[in-house]
Amino acid sequence: MKKLLLSFLLVVTLSTPAYAKLNVRATLPWIGSLAAELGKDKVNIKVIVKPSQDPHYIEAKPSMILATRDADILMYNGLDLEIGYLPLLIESSRNPKIQPGQPGNFDCSRFVNVIEKQPTADRSMGDVHPLGNPHYHFSPSNVLRVARGMAGELSTIDPGNAAFYSANLASFEERLRNKQTQWAKKSLKGKIFIAYHKYFEYMATEFGFRLVGYVEPKPGIPPSAGHIEKLIEIMKKTKLDGILVTPSYGKEEAEALSKKTGVKVIIVPQDVGSVRGTNDWFSFMDAVLSSLQ
Amino acid sequence: MKRGIMLLGLLIFLSVSNQAIGADLESRIQAMEETLKRQQKTIEEQQKIIEELKDQIRTQIAAEKPKTAVATNEPETQKPAGPTGLFGGSALSNPNISLVFNGYAYSSNLTNDELKNRAIRWYTTDGIDRKNGFNLDSVELAIYAPVDPYFNLYATIPVTEDGTTVEEAYFVTTSLPQGHQIKAGKFKSNFGRLNSQHSHVWDFVDNPLPYRAFIGFGDEGIDEKGVQYTYLPPLPFYTVLGVEVLQGENTTLFGSGATGGPHAYTAFAKASLDVSDNATILFGPSVITGKTKTNTVQANSDFTGDSTLYGFEFTYKWKPSKFEGFKIQSEYLYRSQYGDLTDTTLGTVQRLERYQDGFYIQGVYLWNRWEFGARYDMLSIFKDDYNLGGAKQDIGRRPWRVTAMIDYSFSEFSLLRLQYNHGESDVYGKVNHEVFLQALFSIGAHPAHQF
Repeated sequence: MKKLLLSFLLVVTLSTPAYAKLNVRATLPWIGSLAAELGKDKVNIKVIVKPSQDPHYIEAKPSMILATRDADILMYNGLDLEIGYLPLLIESSRNPKIQPGQPGNFDCSRFVNVIEKQPTADRSMGDVHPLGNPHYHFSPSNVLRVARGMAGELSTIDPGNAAFYSANLASFEERLRNKQTQWAKKSLKGKIFIAYHKYFEYMATEFGFRLVGYVEPKPGIPPSAGHIEKLIEIMKKTKLDGILVTPSYGKEEAEALSKKTGVKVIIVPQDVGSVRGTNDWFSFMDAVLSSLQ
Repeated sequence: MKRGIMLLGLLIFLSVSNQAIGADLESRIQAMEETLKRQQKTIEEQQKIIEELKDQIRTQIAAEKPKTAVATNEPETQKPAGPTGLFGGSALSNPNISLVFNGYAYSSNLTNDELKNRAIRWYTTDGIDRKNGFNLDSVELAIYAPVDPYFNLYATIPVTEDGTTVEEAYFVTTSLPQGHQIKAGKFKSNFGRLNSQHSHVWDFVDNPLPYRAFIGFGDEGIDEKGVQYTYLPPLPFYTVLGVEVLQGENTTLFGSGATGGPHAYTAFAKASLDVSDNATILFGPSVITGKTKTNTVQANSDFTGDSTLYGFEFTYKWKPSKFEGFKIQSEYLYRSQYGDLTDTTLGTVQRLERYQDGFYIQGVYLWNRWEFGARYDMLSIFKDDYNLGGAKQDIGRRPWRVTAMIDYSFSEFSLLRLQYNHGESDVYGKVNHEVFLQALFSIGAHPAHQF
């Protein structure tokens, strides 16, 4: 009887992971969207940062700590974008699975070809990210790399569903290939923009447009009157296709600049869900690219 | 006979079919040879194409290289980057070190001596340890890093003009089973809200009256050697439950010579709810109890007894963006204390029982880089019993203060703050008009602040 009970218990405990969904926690909406593409119904995803929030200024809320408590894997952007709250969440989560060095601690930037590394940066340069520009989610080639890494990590943590994850990755890659031929048709080559923040550098190299100035004199530092004057001069000399801002960051300043120069403001969604109709990363990129046209 | 015919038939059949198979095999081998030859040819052709493609790609890369090099400034970005590390891996420095400068200019209508002697009668004989003019609160060195996969270590070392102290030095477990955590060393107790925060995160320069009356004048608060255990239960909303065993050396609440060993115990619960996308509340009760041996109850007298301090905290924070926000914070403290009060000049001993309370409420509005704040703090709210030798003392009117504050942040790392206090904490004395101009600067990798 005892043996029977024991073997029953063993079967139950061994079989539960196969049925239980993997608890995925993602800091940013696009990471959650990617995890949903790869994990589908085998994962249970919670996203920590709201699409309406500026990812640079997130404060650790107790509810975020609670969300990480039961995580099997915590996925984050990396490159210090989450430095203001994530270390605190990880320690306070009291969850050994997501501690640094564990497979459940997944830094997406590990798979990215990072640009603009500034190892000698100090804070007199503003809120620079010494590890490099963290906004690589606008770059299809890098997002593909992250997706591959993510599918691998999901398979490590949940080997029972490895085939499922790699099948989903294959269909993701297929979809991306189709999309990329569509996106290649968008004529962004040779366009010239200025941007409020250094958000679009990855995209500029990948889609062939140019960024000739920034409304912020330094990352995270609001523009001074003198800086704006200089910028207006540049804007008068060059024929610009627009001032790029995100819904949560620098809209007012850009609009004031637009009034003075006549260059139109283009509001580019900063993440999945930050404007209507961008429910996943593909539709988000669609919206981003059509806004730039 | 029949069997013989059958055998013969079988033999004939076998030999015929054998011949047929032989012919078939030969033709098949020939066919296979031909296919092999054809395949070899295609492979050779494909190999050629591959080589051509390779050359093409090489020339393309060579052509593109200068362009990408300009764009990225990183020729070797093709290698996947190593882990960046969460604890400030950017600096490649282990441990992380930061320095917080906290200094202020101070002006009061009272002289330095009057300030020093400005006790809160019936609560504490400790005065205001500030001088008119320039004050250097502290230069606080904070060092932290993961020790190994199992522990994180933190140390806070404020350097003041009187020397260097160890305000905090503790380790935190990271790998206990889900929900459990142990912290041990010297640390700020999780009793209440302001107590566990460092003074540079406070919204005002100084702490409110109930803290000064029950926990002490300085910034340290209940900062003790001991062990803390906390648990985060899997509930639908955030709740942390915790207990601490502490040495009990806080001079106001316990006195440094209270007993020979750990005698202070705390218990606390903190719950939090997101009332909307941008608004959060945090609340919960705390209690700390221990033995007391101190000389700050009344002048020229020593007190020996037991003290228990109860607290309830409430915070509401609304923060839709970096540039706008509103916060309300309040704490209520209640102290019960009883024991023997010895008059050191006469040598007489009297029974003392104190049941006293106090609270503060403060609000701060954030607009762009400005913050506007107001605070009201008061003692003897519901309870003001001071029984000496069984006789209830007349403690007169309530001590209270009101504060206005305005500050400006140049960045996340620098802040200037102007604050005015209208202090009526001395029931019989003059009103204390205080003005502070505080400067807070932070450099290095500072640990992220709690909610």
